[in-house]
Amino acid sequence: MKNNILVIGGGPAGLEASSILSRMGYNVILAEKEKLLGGHLAKWDRLFPDQVPAKEVLNDMLGRMDGVKCFTETKVNSINLLENSYNAMLSNGITVLADAVLLASGFDLFKAEKKEEYGYGIYEGVLTNADLEKAFQEGKKSSPAPRAIGFVHCVGSRDEKAGNPACSKVCCATAVKQAIETKELYPEADVYCFYMDLRMFGRHYEDLYLRAQKSGIRFIRGRVSEVAETAEGRLLVKAEDTLSSKPLKVTLDRLVLMAGMRPSKTGHDVGRQLNLSIEDDGFFSAKDGLQNLQKSKLPGFFYAGACTGPKTLPDTLHEARSAAMEIDRYIKENFRK
Amino acid sequence: MIHLLSATVHQITPEGIIDRYPNSYNHFVLPFVIGITFILIYLFIGLIRILYHLSGEDRIKLLKSLFNPKTAWKNIKDIFCDCLLHTKIWKRKPLLGYMHSAIAFGWFLLIVVGHIEVWLFAPRHLSGLTEGSLYYPIFYRFFIWINPAHETLRGSVFFFIMDFLLLYVLSGIGLAMFKRVRSIALGMRHTTKPSLADRIALYCLWLIFPLRLLAEGFTADLSGGGFLTRPLNWVFRAFFGNELNFLPTWWAYSICLGLFFIAMPFSRYMHILTEPLLILFRNAGLKVRHPRKGFAEAEIYACSSCGLCLDACPMNAQKKNLKYSSVYFIRFLRRHNKKKTKEIAEKCLMCGKCYALCPVGVNSPAIRRAIRETQNNSINCNYSYLDTYAGKAAEVLSDKTRGKILYFAGCMSHLTPKIIKSMETILQASGQEYEFMDRNEGICCGRPLMLAGRTDAARKTIEANTKIIKDSGCTILLLSCPICLKIFKEEYSLKGIEVIHYTQFIDRLIKEGKLKVSKSSSAIVYHDPCELGRGCGIYEEPRNVLRAVAELKKASKEKDESICCGYSLGTLTLDEKDKAKIAESSVSSLMAEDPEEIVTACPMCYRAIRSKAEVPVKDFAEIVCERIENNDKN
Repeated sequence: MKNNILVIGGGPAGLEASSILSRMGYNVILAEKEKLLGGHLAKWDRLFPDQVPAKEVLNDMLGRMDGVKCFTETKVNSINLLENSYNAMLSNGITVLADAVLLASGFDLFKAEKKEEYGYGIYEGVLTNADLEKAFQEGKKSSPAPRAIGFVHCVGSRDEKAGNPACSKVCCATAVKQAIETKELYPEADVYCFYMDLRMFGRHYEDLYLRAQKSGIRFIRGRVSEVAETAEGRLLVKAEDTLSSKPLKVTLDRLVLMAGMRPSKTGHDVGRQLNLSIEDDGFFSAKDGLQNLQKSKLPGFFYAGACTGPKTLPDTLHEARSAAMEIDRYIKENFRK
Repeated sequence: MIHLLSATVHQITPEGIIDRYPNSYNHFVLPFVIGITFILIYLFIGLIRILYHLSGEDRIKLLKSLFNPKTAWKNIKDIFCDCLLHTKIWKRKPLLGYMHSAIAFGWFLLIVVGHIEVWLFAPRHLSGLTEGSLYYPIFYRFFIWINPAHETLRGSVFFFIMDFLLLYVLSGIGLAMFKRVRSIALGMRHTTKPSLADRIALYCLWLIFPLRLLAEGFTADLSGGGFLTRPLNWVFRAFFGNELNFLPTWWAYSICLGLFFIAMPFSRYMHILTEPLLILFRNAGLKVRHPRKGFAEAEIYACSSCGLCLDACPMNAQKKNLKYSSVYFIRFLRRHNKKKTKEIAEKCLMCGKCYALCPVGVNSPAIRRAIRETQNNSINCNYSYLDTYAGKAAEVLSDKTRGKILYFAGCMSHLTPKIIKSMETILQASGQEYEFMDRNEGICCGRPLMLAGRTDAARKTIEANTKIIKDSGCTILLLSCPICLKIFKEEYSLKGIEVIHYTQFIDRLIKEGKLKVSKSSSAIVYHDPCELGRGCGIYEEPRNVLRAVAELKKASKEKDESICCGYSLGTLTLDEKDKAKIAESSVSSLMAEDPEEIVTACPMCYRAIRSKAEVPVKDFAEIVCERIENNDKN
């Protein structure tokens, strides 16, 4: 008899783990709250550092999903631990009795309207990183072409007042990537990046940064303090250039906010029912942070991806694979004696 | 009944009163005499000290106020209402008010009526120290013998009054004892932890009146007595027989009084004697200039340590932070604990709720600011650019602003651009002529600096802004931030220019028919910002407007009891997590009647509450803006 495994979340982590577990011979049931699989990846146009189209990556993943029972537009209504298996009622009316559960609920983007001083939802020219990717996907090009565009790093990240002192890990590279793409789209435009410090930690990330500088993107070290609208409807951005120790004012047509990663609300809904512990930053706490990153405090309940903190796509995929291995080991030890 | 009969039958003159002791002295009075002498000397020295530390200007102010009939009348009224009747506590917590007034006013009347009694029946004992006038009226019942056959109506009336007053005080003491066990019954969630001197004084205070009852009960057959002491006397006689048993009780009564007076200066009960002084200072218009001396010292000793500020303090969202409440702050000040007072002074949100609810009116936020003032002297900033900036800005505005409204958004409104957008829409919809003072840039109003104790720096920004505003020739200065409003009202001298908050202004526009709004059926609740409500006393105008645009619900704590949003600019060191806890408690108070939206009128509160509330949070101008009726439908 095949063991049932429930995977919650159909983003990169959920997809990768499901396809592997399915190939290992398990009966995998995947619940995704949205209409389409892929999570944030499906909403992205190209990926850093090599600007690979997100669609290609996602299609590869989806191609390996044969054998996995995927329920989209489905939430986990309730879940509880029986003697040694989990009983989950899904919102589509199906009840799953699973021997192991993988939570891959990922992240929500920080709600940029919370930083009202940046004017998201108030001024037309202010958009988020996700909005920009969507525009890229749709191939939209504004006309007249914007004359000046700014990118604000760390929106809702490394910001205690916004309730998140942690770094979201991916925004620096994303901002540089998006700045390059914007510059490519509007070569005449002035492009600015307002950063605190650039965390270009991965392989090829520095190359991307160098490429951006060479293409004429201006990097200003300092946070944006406030955004106002000029009489002509452009954006007056006030910031501080901490390298020259001077306040700075620039008038822009477009301002892109690099909204950071916050814990997924749907993930929390599941966690609450099982009393899973959450750390101060709002993300789930793994059994330990070095050796048991995929395990939770409950037997047979595993984590993969950004539900335990911000992660890049490769990190997430690694975690999905390790989670699949951990689940396989767990089932073999507990159910097949 | 027997008294009354005998009184009517026999003569009315008090000839039946005879001193039982020829010198009117017995050793038991010594503890009381020592105690009262000590406290009188202490008070005298303390008064001199406080007056010495007042500035010369303040002393003259005080002296003048004493001879001004208006302030003199206010002094008398305040001392009577606040020190004796405790009307402020009555208004909030009737049972607690009764307890305080029973002890204070009852005791006061006991002393006064006791003296009147002596003055009527044994006047020579009030004439000088040799006749024991210091203690005689207190122990009157011990020293006299009244021939029951000669009891007068006048005498019996006093017997009745004195016993009645004693009962009144005893009822207060009874409640006080009950409060120690179950404070919540009297409306207090948290009470203070008493110090050692507090305990000694407290237990003495509890014992004084029951002992007085016993002592006077023992002697009631000799001295006469009323409805309490006389029956007690019958009971005692039936049990103890020998009436000479009563001397130890009088000793105990005297010891308790003496001990109480000696413990008093080191205990919270010093407030009884200091509060009248504080009232005189306050009514004379004196302000805290030094964090520990002069006026501050009067405030510190006037604190009754009642702990009403514990429940009031927004820090009570977490028990561990209760130590930052005013009552403990004052206690540390009194003990000269500089480290602790500095910590608390910097931690405080300066929301002013403890001051608003303090029955004594101790302005501890002002003392906190005075401490901050002494801490920050090392930071030197260069403000020289302000002059040139102000000159330029004034030039730009001066021609076009004459006779118009000048709108100053302030730094905080600039961080919440929705407020500015809504304000401009409202001003345009109501056809107001206005200029924007700080559309692209402006100078800080100075309030954050003032709160941080950096008075000199604040003065510089005040000066620069004053120049811009005065030169502009505007008639109204319109503000959307109550933090600005407070300092513009208190520290700026802008004669001829009306300083007005947008809640007041919009209320006026609606009343004058210049702005038409429609009412929706959505249920909203209004959060009173500290700086607007307790800071400037504006509670009704925003509510008038909100009632015109939606169904206004109530918060569990509102108006002067409103809970700070936690993100006040007043705190210098409170960390983010503690702020968040306070914001949560503020929100839970607002959600008492399940409103669909929360409205506030301060950019800081707006941001704080929005970060914690589950329902939409709107700024006052924003909600008004949504409900403007379109006038130009043609």
